[in-house]
Amino acid sequence: MTAFFATIRTSFRRQLTYRAANLSGLATNLMFAFFRASVLIALFNEKNIVNGLSIQGAITFAGITQALIGFLSFFSWYDVMHSINDGQIGADLLKPMNFFTYWLGVDLGRALGSFIIRSLPLFLIFMLFYKITLPDSFLQWLVFLLSIVLSELISFGWRFLVNLAAFWSPNALGIGRFAFGLSWIFSGFFMPLDLFPDWLANFSRLTPFGASVYLPIELFINSLTPGELLQTVFIQIFWVLFFILIDQLVLSRGVRKLVIQGG
Amino acid sequence: MRSVKLLLRLIRLQIRSQLQYPASFILEVISGVIIMGFYFVAFALTFSRFDNIGGWSLGEVAFVWGLAEFSFGTMDMIFSGFDYDAFGPMIRKGQFDQLLLRPVNITLQVFGSRFVLRRLGKMIEGLAIFIYSLTLIQVEWTAFKLLYLPVLVVSQVFFFGSLFVIGATTTFWTMERLEILNIFSYGGNEVMSYPMHIFPRPIRMLFTYVVPAILLSYYPAVYMLGKTDPLGAPAFVSFLAPVVAAAMFWLALRFWHFGIRNYQSSGS
Repeated sequence: MTAFFATIRTSFRRQLTYRAANLSGLATNLMFAFFRASVLIALFNEKNIVNGLSIQGAITFAGITQALIGFLSFFSWYDVMHSINDGQIGADLLKPMNFFTYWLGVDLGRALGSFIIRSLPLFLIFMLFYKITLPDSFLQWLVFLLSIVLSELISFGWRFLVNLAAFWSPNALGIGRFAFGLSWIFSGFFMPLDLFPDWLANFSRLTPFGASVYLPIELFINSLTPGELLQTVFIQIFWVLFFILIDQLVLSRGVRKLVIQGG
Repeated sequence: MRSVKLLLRLIRLQIRSQLQYPASFILEVISGVIIMGFYFVAFALTFSRFDNIGGWSLGEVAFVWGLAEFSFGTMDMIFSGFDYDAFGPMIRKGQFDQLLLRPVNITLQVFGSRFVLRRLGKMIEGLAIFIYSLTLIQVEWTAFKLLYLPVLVVSQVFFFGSLFVIGATTTFWTMERLEILNIFSYGGNEVMSYPMHIFPRPIRMLFTYVVPAILLSYYPAVYMLGKTDPLGAPAFVSFLAPVVAAAMFWLALRFWHFGIRNYQSSGS
């Protein structure tokens, strides 16, 4: 357990050292938040509510998605793949720590660093420019915070799984691009799912991608009943457990056929 | 002439190596089309709940969207060597020094150093969106418009290409790619996909006076589609695209050569 926390701490510090990169990424995400918000405002035009989504909710959506993009790192992450390809994994497997847990620690540290240095400032600056909606009860704030932690766990579980493809294919990068693209489609990242046709929105919400990206956003912009809050958290916990299980299973199979070239 | 032959040869080599696994290559292109195309699909699905954006129909948006995607994809393939995501590591690892030692024009070598063929995906996607737009709207084509269209595409390619060249040049000093430049390159691609008058004034000013994306997408489209322009610019700005693109590319190359003259190796 101490080793796990030490991993988180180290990774957290590493994330904070890239100050210029973080700042530059923050500025970029912020600009894209402005672009997306402008598009949604132009679409809503004079309307206040469309299919249950308010214009404020839609603007908030533009801010949160850009704030969380670095934190969730959902769409591009090949670290484990690289370590399998270049043989670093040999040393990592020798560590007195489960390989999955080790990378989870690394990723949690990265996410925490990114949250503090990118997500929070971005959203605070965004709030200066637009009138947004905030969760309207203390309970909802609390559930939201829990929910984004679960989001990061789902995101990690999925990314780790995709990376394991490197055990089987020398061209896993292509598989990775495809898989991450797939998650992009169903995540509700581009446009608020509420504005999609209902069947697609409902389907997306059930996928791990919608569960990771869109469910916490919904928690943030809608006022939900305690029952709905509970349901959201349950769906998310389901996906977390699902990926922990699958990842361990696939990992143990992959390790068994791993051959590290001398070098 | 000799160097052009060499460039083509370098590119041919790149293409051959990327076609080593044809099945996997085709899969990557197809997945590129679907995934990047989905952003447009998401927009179109959302659009069905509204009836216009800034007075433009879905077909009219698709017109500028498809053009920008196609041009960016083409540029991303031709200018792969200047993609600052890849050029930064090239500088850091000292691979750029190797190129400098060869007795061939350095700019041509960078063009030939990387050629990402799977960008075909984005080109196909852009083309599909553009063709889709033509099924939705009736453009009143004239001979001049038909002539201007390819000029516009080439202008956009050079416009985006200039941003890549400038981005690559900055890594001579920073060693790292500067993500902030994405605001103009990928961000430019994004804002050019919409009728740009919908953006608030500060964003419009940025994309008019700092990086004049609006002259390569919105104004030419206003002319082609016969839209009225709420910004009230004089009519001739619709035709500045090739001039602006040429000027930007010239400036970018000047900056690039200035960077090379002042280049100090990372020493690794």
